[in-house]
Amino acid sequence: MRRMLSQYADIFQSAVESLRAHLLRSTLTSIGVMIGVAFVSLMGWALRSLDAAWERTLSTLGSDMLYVDKWDWSGQGNWRTMMNRKNITLDQAEEIARRLRVAEMTYFSADAWGQTITTADRRASGIVIEGTMARFGMLPSTQLAEGRFFSELEERTAAAVAVIGEGVRTTLFGNRSPVGQTIRIKGRPFVIIGVMPKRGTLFSDFLDRTVYIPLPAFFGIYGRYSRSITVAAKARSPEELDVLRDELTGVVRAVRKLPPQAANDFAINEAEVFRQQVANIRIVIWAVGIGLTALSFLVGVIGITNVMFVAVIERTKEIGIRRAVGARQSTILLQFLLEATMLCVAGALVGVIVSGAIVLVVTAVARDSADFLLPVLPPEIVVVAVAVSIAVGILAGFIPALRAARLDPVEALRYEA
Amino acid sequence: MSTPPLIVLEGITKHYRMGSEIVEALRGVDLTIRRGEYVAIMGPSGSGKSTLMNIIGCLDTPTSGRYMLEGTDVSSLGDAALAAIRNRKIGFVFQTFNLLPRATALKNVELPLIYAGAPPQERRQRAIAALESVGLGDRLRHKPPELSGGQRQRVAIARALVTGPSIILADEPTGNLDSKTGMEIMALFHRIWQEGNTIVLVTHEEDIARHAHRIIRIRDGRVESDMPNPTPIVGAPLLV
Repeated sequence: MRRMLSQYADIFQSAVESLRAHLLRSTLTSIGVMIGVAFVSLMGWALRSLDAAWERTLSTLGSDMLYVDKWDWSGQGNWRTMMNRKNITLDQAEEIARRLRVAEMTYFSADAWGQTITTADRRASGIVIEGTMARFGMLPSTQLAEGRFFSELEERTAAAVAVIGEGVRTTLFGNRSPVGQTIRIKGRPFVIIGVMPKRGTLFSDFLDRTVYIPLPAFFGIYGRYSRSITVAAKARSPEELDVLRDELTGVVRAVRKLPPQAANDFAINEAEVFRQQVANIRIVIWAVGIGLTALSFLVGVIGITNVMFVAVIERTKEIGIRRAVGARQSTILLQFLLEATMLCVAGALVGVIVSGAIVLVVTAVARDSADFLLPVLPPEIVVVAVAVSIAVGILAGFIPALRAARLDPVEALRYEA
Repeated sequence: MSTPPLIVLEGITKHYRMGSEIVEALRGVDLTIRRGEYVAIMGPSGSGKSTLMNIIGCLDTPTSGRYMLEGTDVSSLGDAALAAIRNRKIGFVFQTFNLLPRATALKNVELPLIYAGAPPQERRQRAIAALESVGLGDRLRHKPPELSGGQRQRVAIARALVTGPSIILADEPTGNLDSKTGMEIMALFHRIWQEGNTIVLVTHEEDIARHAHRIIRIRDGRVESDMPNPTPIVGAPLLV
């Protein structure tokens, strides 16, 4: 055992020496692997970021929630058809809630998009005003960063209170606490009583630009009939979601008085609808990433194999000498394999550093537009990248190393460069 | 005799394929070399003496025949076993020195001990002792390009001696040296022989061969003559 260790130490040392002796050549050769590893790391990072965004979407929307809406949130479906659907009225919403048996709770909300709100000295546009109910604030997924949500009393009395999203707070108040401050919606003053933490993701970045006010107060501004109501229904458990969806479909069809043959004139939305979107993005990342990665590793393997062939020829005499003083074929094989592998690992480490730097730069530059991206490379991606590079090294080095090991020692000793 | 002879070759042949032709480098060589002998193998180029040396040195295996080294049949051993024999029992000295150019003298001499699996501390000490014994105790950190030809050959001799081998196999050891340095090297071989080592010298130079105590002449792949040399040259040459 000790004997093996002492030999490996020497093999390692001689590999380092020969790589250092040809530093420029070694560097150029490992560029392919470097780029390949950078692609693998960045691809892994993008996929992990996507997963994180997906999980946040799931927890924001709730895996046990269904949302009856005039609009299909997945972005599928014909826009014109949905546009022409009749609004879901408050009366219909109340009728739906009354008839549901398997839902644990329901609440209604209505939205006004593209609104502008002001404080004494600032304004924010592109804001979503959402009228909702106190029950929304009682959902486990509704956590506040600061302050509180409005109560049922405030809801019933159409109190002029508001809970603002994280993005609204930074736009209007910077780092100051907004609780107790007043904002104006269509000129009407609302006192801020709470702030939401960051909730927006790749699929729902508008959430952070939303202001929540009591539904009756919303009707007071925008009128009772101008907006379609969204009915949110919570299942008692995620397992009961299918039962709830079936019941909901029947109830809404009945309330909307659809004849049996007619298609649904509403959509039942849930977090799951975004799964398809995630899958599509995932496929694109894979297709581009795998293609680029495979190409760079191919170039890397060819380059390293080539340089190792050259190294074997250059060092024919050395191989002869080592064999004459007692090196086995397997020792020589290992020496050249290790050299190729070290080339790859060195390239991989540089690749990881480069992609780490790219991640830092991208997340710094695109903090606002693409805030779902993870700020650092996931460590397991780094491990995978290095493991892949070791495999590439062994693959690239094997044939040259085998040639080195099989050299006839007599011929090798006679060789003159 | 209680111990078998060091080397016994029986009917050794070696055939090479050169393109479509079969070259018979050795056509049946019988040879016995005993412990403590100082033997020169002589022959013109193409006589098969290099092939013979490679077989004795376990760098090559015979096509047919039997090679007993210290009572063990080595003619049909595999790579790992032959590597171990070269490592422990054979010390090579070559015409072109064959040192690793980027490694220090010390590292070059340590190399066989690395393959023998000696612990770092021990192999350092043994390598230093071997270099001191050839008069290079002050050149441990020098690399071959920084050394003279004679010094390089002495590093190679230290490398050959460091494992305490059964045979020192020297292939034209003075071929790349001027005659004065060559004689210094031959004096060194004489001392090594006096210290109890067995030396097999391969050469085509009569002057060099006459340092040995037995001269074997090879021609056309066969032993042409095998005679003792009653008047070996010691150290300094008689005729230069």
